[in-house]
Amino acid sequence: MNKTKLFIFLLLLSAVIAMRASAQEVDSLLNSLSSDQKFNKVEFTFKATHIVLSQSTETQKKRDLDFRIRHHFGDIGGKFGNAHTLYGLDVASDLFIGFDYGVTDKLTIGIGRSKNDELFNFLVKQKLLQQKTDGMPINLTLFAQMGLVAREPFSSSEFINYSDRLTYLIQPILSRKFSSSFSFQMMPALLMRSKTLGLADPENLLSLGFAGRLKLNKRLSFVAEYTLVNELSRNDLVAELYNPLGIGLEIETGGHIFSLNLMNSEYINENSFIPSTKKSWKEGGVRFGFTISRNFSLFQSKNKNPDTKSTIY
Amino acid sequence: MNSTKKIKLTLVVLCCFAFLQQLNAQTFTSKNIKFNIFSSTPVEDIKAVSYTGVAVLGAQKQELNIQVAIKGLEFDRKLMQEHFNENYMESEKYPLAKFKGIIEPKIDFTKDGEYSVMAKGVLNVHGVNQPRTINGKIIIKNGVINLNSTFNVACEAHKIKIPKLVFTKIAEIIQVKVQGDLNLLNK
Repeated sequence: MNKTKLFIFLLLLSAVIAMRASAQEVDSLLNSLSSDQKFNKVEFTFKATHIVLSQSTETQKKRDLDFRIRHHFGDIGGKFGNAHTLYGLDVASDLFIGFDYGVTDKLTIGIGRSKNDELFNFLVKQKLLQQKTDGMPINLTLFAQMGLVAREPFSSSEFINYSDRLTYLIQPILSRKFSSSFSFQMMPALLMRSKTLGLADPENLLSLGFAGRLKLNKRLSFVAEYTLVNELSRNDLVAELYNPLGIGLEIETGGHIFSLNLMNSEYINENSFIPSTKKSWKEGGVRFGFTISRNFSLFQSKNKNPDTKSTIY
Repeated sequence: MNSTKKIKLTLVVLCCFAFLQQLNAQTFTSKNIKFNIFSSTPVEDIKAVSYTGVAVLGAQKQELNIQVAIKGLEFDRKLMQEHFNENYMESEKYPLAKFKGIIEPKIDFTKDGEYSVMAKGVLNVHGVNQPRTINGKIIIKNGVINLNSTFNVACEAHKIKIPKLVFTKIAEIIQVKVQGDLNLLNK
């Protein structure tokens, strides 16, 4: 009697073991089959190629052309603001129109033109490192930009050589997506120029930027950035120059990204706002600015794969 | 033979039996199942494809497990792919779309033939389970099992929200096409 019980028990036990083994087997089989596909990239650290004013580690997608228009209004408060200028809305302290094009998913080239200094800028952005779930903890993108001041000189001695009109910026950008809602980046930069405000303002200006994104929901993010210039590479300046600080909201509507910002920098381009932000948040020098960015996918006809060929009617 | 020996022998026999059972249970697998998704509205047709779906079919119970990595779906426009992953499928949270079910009616997988079948089971998309019965076709030729099925997935049933602004561009019901060849797994 006892033996029979034991026998039944053993039979059941082995049946359970066999069933569990087969269920585990299916799971491990599925895993082993999908193990050679690697989807370990941590992507979309930032929604856009820019945060407030600075570049992010994101680059344009291959064959996508980004058309950007940016507007900076005048001071909200202080001597130049208040109701007389409708809190700065009467004033356009800078305007920018630019095109960025993705040569590959990792290489972006671009040109742009700002109202301030009639500055033309030419940029190259190359993504070097990609954050991954296993291994690489950060993104690294190298950004280089040349600025050309096209305006008439203010005095006959201002641009003696043509090269005096040129400025060069080199900026390695490091970022990390800590979670799906929080990303942070740091960007040291070297700006090389020949026109400065005197001995205290060096020709080779070092700066260190910090920027972050907090996603509020799928389509709305809060962004902020701060660039350390003064305490880092210049002291005892006669002219009043400030470190740029900007905050903003990013609204994504599929194809369009609207960016509504408040910042103390009058100027839009890095080669201008890093060295010469003359307004302070404390004295009403903050202003409203916005970006409208529209992506166009070029050369769609090059896609010959019928499985992915999308059509817009 | 005393009783302990008998028990030991029974145990060994049972274990062998269990192993044999598993060895006998034929398993067919594939790691290049093709998934097409298709959204059609009067404004825009959107297509995407993945060639890296994975399937395991246990011949004895006719149990089918099939899954695809959401990030593996490729779009013509990479920005669209980004929106698909970030805004709709939330692929970092829900990396896979899966189906697990039993194929009916009974099929002899060792013989060549063509069968209209249905798979009863659970479809998991965007982390939401839906009980489904999916119709398809199985063609067996020279020991290779070809799966072919087209079915619809309603975005709302899987809690995939489409904002009103892009309502005209993205269909509420997405057509999914699955096809691929499964081969006998060599143990």
